[in-house]
Amino acid sequence: MSVLKAIGADSLFGDVQRMDKRQFFYQVLSFGMIVSSALMIWKGLMVVTGSESPIVVVLSGSMEPAFHRGDLLFLTNYPEEPVRVGEIVVFKVEGRDIPIVHRVIKLHEKADGTVKFLTKGDNNSVDDRGLYAPGQLWLTKKDIVGRARGFLPYVGMITILMNEYPNFKYAILGILAIYVLLHRE
Amino acid sequence: MSNKKGDKQEDEQEVVQINKWDGSQVKHAIDDAFKNVLMERPNCREHFAIIDGRLFICALAVGVALFALGYDYIYTFPTSKPILIVCVASYFVLMGILTIYTTYVEKGIFAVAIQSDGSGKTLRKWTASSDMKKYDDKYTLTLSVKDSKNVREVSVTKSCANFVDVDGVVCTDLVGAELKRIYNSLNNAEKKDK
Repeated sequence: MSVLKAIGADSLFGDVQRMDKRQFFYQVLSFGMIVSSALMIWKGLMVVTGSESPIVVVLSGSMEPAFHRGDLLFLTNYPEEPVRVGEIVVFKVEGRDIPIVHRVIKLHEKADGTVKFLTKGDNNSVDDRGLYAPGQLWLTKKDIVGRARGFLPYVGMITILMNEYPNFKYAILGILAIYVLLHRE
Repeated sequence: MSNKKGDKQEDEQEVVQINKWDGSQVKHAIDDAFKNVLMERPNCREHFAIIDGRLFICALAVGVALFALGYDYIYTFPTSKPILIVCVASYFVLMGILTIYTTYVEKGIFAVAIQSDGSGKTLRKWTASSDMKKYDDKYTLTLSVKDSKNVREVSVTKSCANFVDVDGVVCTDLVGAELKRIYNSLNNAEKKDK
């Protein structure tokens, strides 16, 4: 108790101890609503852009000088706008979770609308066939997460940091959660 | 002096100590003190309808969000699109309804008490609401009473320093005296009308 008093946090628990059932339920619901709002904004973006991951972080330097590691990318994936050669797309190789941001350099299109793409990073010297699944020589529409439409520099570094040091992520989220749960608005 | 009173109160209720420089904590503490004294008036029982309404809207919103999360997890993205649209739209509509509810229906009310006449029949409804601006020390308490005939209301604005002492302890005796004064004035005004 004296440690808490020293850092001025004793009033935090005092608030919660004095709460009755309804007030405590409201605290839990407030926390739930903050999480739900973030979730709904994300799902809303998914619906509006048509992409399953509308915001991605550039993880490598393979697209320099256009995009650097740590940039935030905004994607769209409208079915009525076909991908063309020269556009920057984000794709996921089957079996791997990491999104890759590269440019389309070759494209084959059939009369029925099926397409095959070949991609290459601007800063790489070879095309991406080495990155695709074994035996795969071309990407198809379903591998594409979206086309890059806009970007914010440096903002994604926080995500990279949190993924490299997961304890940091849990610490920050834990502190935020405790603060929201205990502080009576 | 605060020691003696503290000892006596410890038998009945713990001494509430707050950070006196945190405006919202002070307001909540004084609200709770007024609520406790109001509920001690004869035959008064707390009525939770307004608070329950807010809790219901919040719970509904969180439920919608959880449903969207679960549905999207089971049926991955492109197939779940229509349900997601419905969930996202209804979530934000519920947020709007919640804001309207807290602004127009709840409006600062922190306690509603139903006073019966001893045999369980509802006599009057007392509503206490308060207002204290963000960096101001003036605390406004509005007590209104509604019975089958009419509604009367009294507002009192005092500095919150009248109810909290220098250590941040809420002085329930001062709070009680203030509430009794307003309660009696409303009671007597009723009797005079009758």
